[in-house]
Amino acid sequence: MMHAVRRHGPYVLILPGFMLLAGLFVLPVGQLLATSFGDPAGSFVHYERILTQPVYLRVILRTLTLSAATAALCLILGYPLAYQLNRSKGVARGLILLCILIPFWTNLLVRSYGWIVLLNPQGVINGALREAGLVESGLPLVYNTTGVLIGMTQIMLPYMVLPLAAVMSRIDPRVMDAARSLGASPRAAFLKVYVPLTLTGALGGVLLVFMISLGFFVVPAMLGGQRDILLAQLIEFNVNQTLNWPFAGALSAVLLVSTLVLYAFGDRFLGLRRLWGAE
Amino acid sequence: MGNRRISAPSSGKAIDRRLLLKFGGASLLAVSAPSVLRAQAKEVVFASWGGSWEAAMREAWFKPFTAKTGIEVRTVQGNTYGRVQAMVESGRTDWDVVEVLPDFQWIGPKRGLLEPIDFNVVDKSQIMPGADMITEYSVPQVLFSRLVAYNKKLGAGPQSFADVFDTKKFPGKRAFYTKANGAYLEAALLADGVDPAKLYPLDIPRALKKLSTIRDDIQFYETNAQAEQMMSDGQAAIALTPDGRALNARSHGAPIDIQFGLSFLTWSAMVVPKGTTRKAEAMQLIAFCLTREAQAEIAKVYTYGPVVPKAFELLPPERANILSGGPQMQGKAVIMGEKWWGENLSGVTEQVNAWKLS
Repeated sequence: MMHAVRRHGPYVLILPGFMLLAGLFVLPVGQLLATSFGDPAGSFVHYERILTQPVYLRVILRTLTLSAATAALCLILGYPLAYQLNRSKGVARGLILLCILIPFWTNLLVRSYGWIVLLNPQGVINGALREAGLVESGLPLVYNTTGVLIGMTQIMLPYMVLPLAAVMSRIDPRVMDAARSLGASPRAAFLKVYVPLTLTGALGGVLLVFMISLGFFVVPAMLGGQRDILLAQLIEFNVNQTLNWPFAGALSAVLLVSTLVLYAFGDRFLGLRRLWGAE
Repeated sequence: MGNRRISAPSSGKAIDRRLLLKFGGASLLAVSAPSVLRAQAKEVVFASWGGSWEAAMREAWFKPFTAKTGIEVRTVQGNTYGRVQAMVESGRTDWDVVEVLPDFQWIGPKRGLLEPIDFNVVDKSQIMPGADMITEYSVPQVLFSRLVAYNKKLGAGPQSFADVFDTKKFPGKRAFYTKANGAYLEAALLADGVDPAKLYPLDIPRALKKLSTIRDDIQFYETNAQAEQMMSDGQAAIALTPDGRALNARSHGAPIDIQFGLSFLTWSAMVVPKGTTRKAEAMQLIAFCLTREAQAEIAKVYTYGPVVPKAFELLPPERANILSGGPQMQGKAVIMGEKWWGENLSGVTEQVNAWKLS
């Protein structure tokens, strides 16, 4: 046994994970995709429906843009947070971590209801604003795209902060001192030395947030408006309501392919490959 | 589980030593050989929607059923059509009775997922007639409706569906269930002057055109809990919601009144997934739930109407009045065309989504 591990080391070690992935993910997903081509009326009827009914392309486009917007918002909010987390010590660090992680452990539905209570026109925030005389009628913060972005960004923030903080913690603080001693202003040192060093973490976070966001359906369904239909909602509908699994498979395939295409673009122009250490 | 069953007879009696020894021994046996006992104890698995509804069914139906037949009812949650299909297709049917919405009466058999109901065991003669409530593969379980609830500041409130769509007369948001079969398409057509008797097949373009007239005032809700919240804090002036939710919100102090006359009657159904090994027990349970007494009992503990009209005779009038199918709705409620929905849900959903995105 030990001999085998030594000789085929890496392969033996990845075997359990590989089998799990193959059996529980690749196989069923492959089956679902196969059924999407298996209609007696023709192999591509489901894909034809997706391409000819404007609903689906519009939903796919909306899914991609909302996910990208969520990733961007997470980066803007997450970067300073990760920076501060990395600089803090002791109790403060624990508190920041706690604030980031507590939402992580809360049920999605509960969080969505929480946001509705806060954001709706009769809700806590609008009530306070009216009380202070800042607005007359309520601000439209929920049941529209704003609500979806608020909800999704909050949920996805940890996926951005944690990889960023991990990268930041590996940066040698003396690098910044060196930049300063060589005459860089604090601003220049930050922008030209620190930020480039965190780029892989930022890209990793963006990618993670974007990809996970593509599969959201509870949050947009609850916090969104009439136009905030995401692809996962349509997939869920076809899986659980009309039992049209082949069509659900076709929708999933389109989502998968568009993600891969985007990834290929990202790899070509942003060098995403660096993230996995395969330079 | 076997343990509890065996020790049950001793409750309420003085326990003497011999009895204690006997039962003690028996329960020891139960612990040491649970699989043997479970094989002997008859059981039926009911896939429910959970929550307070399941608790109500346990009191009104499952406990008396077990007392009468000795068959235990085990409940499981997470009941979706997708899981029924996955179960049947994988050849391992663990659920014996499933409660479903009526569209599944047609979606299920089309995909070969259901066992026919044994009408030698299940008495269908007492069930409310008409409206495709009974099929070869399903029987109705209870009645519920989607009805108009409105904020008290609207005074006497909408008297017709035309009023529901009149935002000048009754300003404020309208809360509709987001799924296409949430009855708002029907409401739009009735508001537009369609004869209730000629509602189906629904004229979808006409319904959407009518919906467009109040588009900015529509707030779709995803879950019923959300609908209750919208009624309670006044986000919605008018809501088209399940009757149970409106009643619940009102009894918890929501500032709303209910317009029982503006309602769409529908029902939930019971089906038996294909391949169950406990078909006989499943049929027995279904038959029990459809007796006049069982239907009255459930209507006493939960705000769903009985599908057996004679059960209303066993209910106090103040209870009957608030229930679906009760006197306040007689002759006024529009019965949902569930068969039409079962066949058209997919296509109509596509049209409604296109409208939502436009």
